[in-house]
Amino acid sequence: MWRFFAAKGAQYLLVILLTVVLNFALPRMMPGSPLLFLAGEEVGFLSPEQRHQLRALHGLDEPQWRQFLAYASNLARGRLGYSFQRGRPISQMIGERLPYTLLLAGTALVLATLLGVILGAAAAWRRGSGLDLGSLGLAMLLESVPSFWLGMILIGVFASGLGWFPIFGAGTPGISPAGWPLIVDRARHLALPLATLTIATTPGVYLIMRYSMLAVLGEQYIATARAKGAPELAVLRRHAVRNALLPVATVFMLNLGFVASGATIVETVFSYPGIGRLLYEAVLSRDYPVIQGTFLMITACVIGANIVSDLLYPLIDPRVREG
Amino acid sequence: MTLLAVLGLTALFAPLLSPYDPEETVADPFQPPGRAHLLGTNDVGQDILSELIHGSRISLTVGFLAAAMAVGIGTAVGVASGFLGGWVEMVLMRAVDLVLVVPFLPLMILLAAYLGPSFWNVVIVIGILVWARPARVIRAQVLSVRRLEYVDAALALGARPTRVMLRHVLPAVLPLSLAQFILAASGSILIEAALSFLGLGDPTAKSWGSVLYYAQARSAFLSGAWVWWVLPPGLLITATTLGFALIGHSLEGLLNPRMRPGGGAS
Amino acid sequence: MCSAIVLVLVLAAAPTSSGQAGPLRIAIGRDEGSLNPYTYQTGYPGWNIMTLVYEPLFTPDADNIPRPWLVRRHTVSPDGRTWSLTLRPNLRWHDGRPLTADDVKFTYDYVRRHPHSRWTPQVRSIEGVETSGPTGLTIRLDAAGSGFAAQPLADLPILPRHIWEGVVEPRRFNDVVGSGPYRVAEIREGQFYRLTANETYFAGRPRVREIILPIIRDATVTFTALKAGEIDTTSRPLSPEVVAEFEKAAGVKVVRGAGYASTVLQFNFEHPLLKDVRLRRAIANAINTRLMVRLLLLGFGAPGSPGYIHPDSPFYNPAAAFAPSKTRAVQLLNEAGYVDRNRDGVRDAPDGTPLRFTLLTLAGNPIRIRAADLVRAWLRDLGIDATVVAQEDASIIAQVWPEFDACKGRRFDMAVFGWSAPVMNRTTSLRDLFHSDCRLGTLNIGGYRSAEIDRLGAALTASVKPERQKQILFEMQRVVAAEVPVHVLFYQDGVYAYRSERYDGWVYQKGLGIVNKLSFAGPPKP
Repeated sequence: MWRFFAAKGAQYLLVILLTVVLNFALPRMMPGSPLLFLAGEEVGFLSPEQRHQLRALHGLDEPQWRQFLAYASNLARGRLGYSFQRGRPISQMIGERLPYTLLLAGTALVLATLLGVILGAAAAWRRGSGLDLGSLGLAMLLESVPSFWLGMILIGVFASGLGWFPIFGAGTPGISPAGWPLIVDRARHLALPLATLTIATTPGVYLIMRYSMLAVLGEQYIATARAKGAPELAVLRRHAVRNALLPVATVFMLNLGFVASGATIVETVFSYPGIGRLLYEAVLSRDYPVIQGTFLMITACVIGANIVSDLLYPLIDPRVREG
Repeated sequence: MTLLAVLGLTALFAPLLSPYDPEETVADPFQPPGRAHLLGTNDVGQDILSELIHGSRISLTVGFLAAAMAVGIGTAVGVASGFLGGWVEMVLMRAVDLVLVVPFLPLMILLAAYLGPSFWNVVIVIGILVWARPARVIRAQVLSVRRLEYVDAALALGARPTRVMLRHVLPAVLPLSLAQFILAASGSILIEAALSFLGLGDPTAKSWGSVLYYAQARSAFLSGAWVWWVLPPGLLITATTLGFALIGHSLEGLLNPRMRPGGGAS
Repeated sequence: MCSAIVLVLVLAAAPTSSGQAGPLRIAIGRDEGSLNPYTYQTGYPGWNIMTLVYEPLFTPDADNIPRPWLVRRHTVSPDGRTWSLTLRPNLRWHDGRPLTADDVKFTYDYVRRHPHSRWTPQVRSIEGVETSGPTGLTIRLDAAGSGFAAQPLADLPILPRHIWEGVVEPRRFNDVVGSGPYRVAEIREGQFYRLTANETYFAGRPRVREIILPIIRDATVTFTALKAGEIDTTSRPLSPEVVAEFEKAAGVKVVRGAGYASTVLQFNFEHPLLKDVRLRRAIANAINTRLMVRLLLLGFGAPGSPGYIHPDSPFYNPAAAFAPSKTRAVQLLNEAGYVDRNRDGVRDAPDGTPLRFTLLTLAGNPIRIRAADLVRAWLRDLGIDATVVAQEDASIIAQVWPEFDACKGRRFDMAVFGWSAPVMNRTTSLRDLFHSDCRLGTLNIGGYRSAEIDRLGAALTASVKPERQKQILFEMQRVVAAEVPVHVLFYQDGVYAYRSERYDGWVYQKGLGIVNKLSFAGPPKP
């Protein structure tokens, strides 16, 4: 048992080390230089000496391996460094954005998984029925709607059309409510991006659940349970759903990693201040430290989710435990 | 099936079907639909209907090829690692982790910027971006299939593992692969649109994605133009996905008899 | 009790009796750092917003002519090398400390020591700054500075010495105590900025009590919010296709003015074929810039001038005008011996090289992609084969203008490129764009060489009198028009929409837009 965990641990350590290297290399491999964004629009008017000074200021004129060592040693001491562009500590920037992302993407993921599992199970159970075909069609339809168009349409209907919800942002700027009005204000701003993200994520979960459920329903033991005269709902709950959850759990864990980065487009459409947008903007402006910082955080999330899923598999799927 | 066939034929005979050359400015820009232009004209006065008919060629092939590539790799990796276990599993799954761990967007920008915009590069980029997820999901399925009595029985009877893998495990995960293929196909068409959207695809090529890109970029959502400029390509994408889904639906029954309604006959 | 609360709410919501407009919401497209001179990001509207907080000594007026602002009197010596300035009395920082000549001297030294791409080159020519008393200043230059009033005087904002002294990493310093009509009250990164009026501003109370700047990245969402009244205006110019929509919207006014940002067809002079001026002229003749403006900008723009300078600029030389002609293009090519030798539909150079080029363009900008596509089609008709390659911003820069350093070479044939409005406003812009020495021709990304431009450029830098400058600029435009180092395709107009019932005091700054200091404060009494 301990050897198993040691081996797993070593594997994850390897992945972490690899990502630290990739983390450093990827942003630098992207074409283009951060200089424009370090210097501002008039970068063309700088003299060569000034360019040099500017690069030196950010350690960009050092050889790559030195830059890497500096990055790694700072990282080892828990320092993420400063944004090229904003001049602010990255831990602080991520700290500001993280709550918004967790609120938006986390809630959406939980909602989407619940909806997907329930609808998927129901559809498979009543395979070929109106419910099944209807929900399947709808899932296909929603699966193929790009999230930015979905977002734009929701804005068009519910925000600018009906005026029920605000069009942009995470809160009304310039007012500082507290208590109940604050919650209401935040919730009103959250509603549309949350709806968009949930609608975009549910079909994936639904499809996996439905297919996995169909596979399980074909198994011998279901037929056996039914033959034994077990009540339908009990068979559904105790045997079918439970066993069909394994692939869904995998997808959930994958999504958990994407919670941090996957909401980019929705955050951009709704001007929501989350991690995804931070990363996207950093990529566009080649803000290496911010890319590295957010990458690392996302990596940590995914690896954490992996560890959890490795630990949880035996609990969810009894058949794996026996092995 | 018929849906896809119709779309496929449309793609095949695009030059015969489309009323205008989609590359030609044939009217004033931003014209609403009329007798001469059933879906109006785009931002440089090209006929939108002709654009869509021609666009089906690129969109369908990109979606199909990229999804096939991704799910092919994904299934192979998933089955191999789930069934064989050991170091094969370790190496493959760490590779999967790595691809999944690296955030999608920068990876996409990096790959696309590196390879440059061309038809095959777009296919390759999408394939590389998409394969890891099916691999993960399929491995999970393989893990549970592997515990089933008939696999154990086959192994106990002395069947070669490769044979068991191909004869018993692979068929058992194929329906899931199909589900993944459907996701991947629609996903690929969407990623193609997203690549065009971010300017990493080939915005000069006529695909449904690039039609949508120009519609979005030229404010079709703000004016009424989205009805004829955004909806039709959107519906085409949906129809295609739906076509894939329905094929998956019928194949599912053919490939796996145990899954037929009222099954359990095996 | 209840009614008392209602009354308070009503009072709070009512406009203040002083005539100041209420909170005004101006959407911007991206973050602007902490809004100090070292952290703001964009030339427009970033600089304009930042200078609401930190002020330069002069301020450009609606025609972009520098006018004294913090300065009460100024004189220039006849040789143009010594500038004597007297500050207004009683200028104060937001924290109440007096703003003195000492702060100005400190700032001009500070930006020299801590490089900033905009400020540092501007103070390069300064030999020394001397103060006499709290308001007297003498600035000596190493050569006559023609553009000195515009830059740095009307461009470089003054920093408070008592706060910035000892700051060694200005890019990581986020203080916002300035002297301008607005104070920074709140910054939420990725969300919004909130500025409140500096009630004791020397040039009178600002006309808007509070300015909120929400950040909205997506253009369509911005325009939707404006239409719905969730914002009052935006620094984003309207796209041509939505102008009509806003013109008929209730409560919204649309202003339109010349835009100084250019879209150009850039040639690479290191390409063996594109060196030939006859080929470049032929290409220019094949491009119908008028049709481009009609088709791509729906008429909201002006066709490019062959001499680069916008027709509305005071420096525009009308003699350099030009009408493209396809017949002329064909004739030029035939005369120069570019004919289709191997009958493959593409003309070949006398040595047999086919006229095949790649045409780079920015993928994020649909108008530029379409422009490139039109150029491709027109060149095709001429027997020149161009392939449009659209790539993301940073990738294009890496090929056209590596490291933003014209001395670092180039890897492209032709590119549809563009320059922002400030490039048009600089007196030295034609030298920057076309001088053979890449250290002077910092924007000469095509590697163009011309002894005549070099000579005129030197004369321009040395000249002080506006009349003489204009004369030289006219000459330069003539050379550029004849040699076609770039072919300007068009200038897109600036069209802006705002909710007039919320505020109607906007000033359109030529070539730029409506978000600027003149819209909110001053001008100070002489």
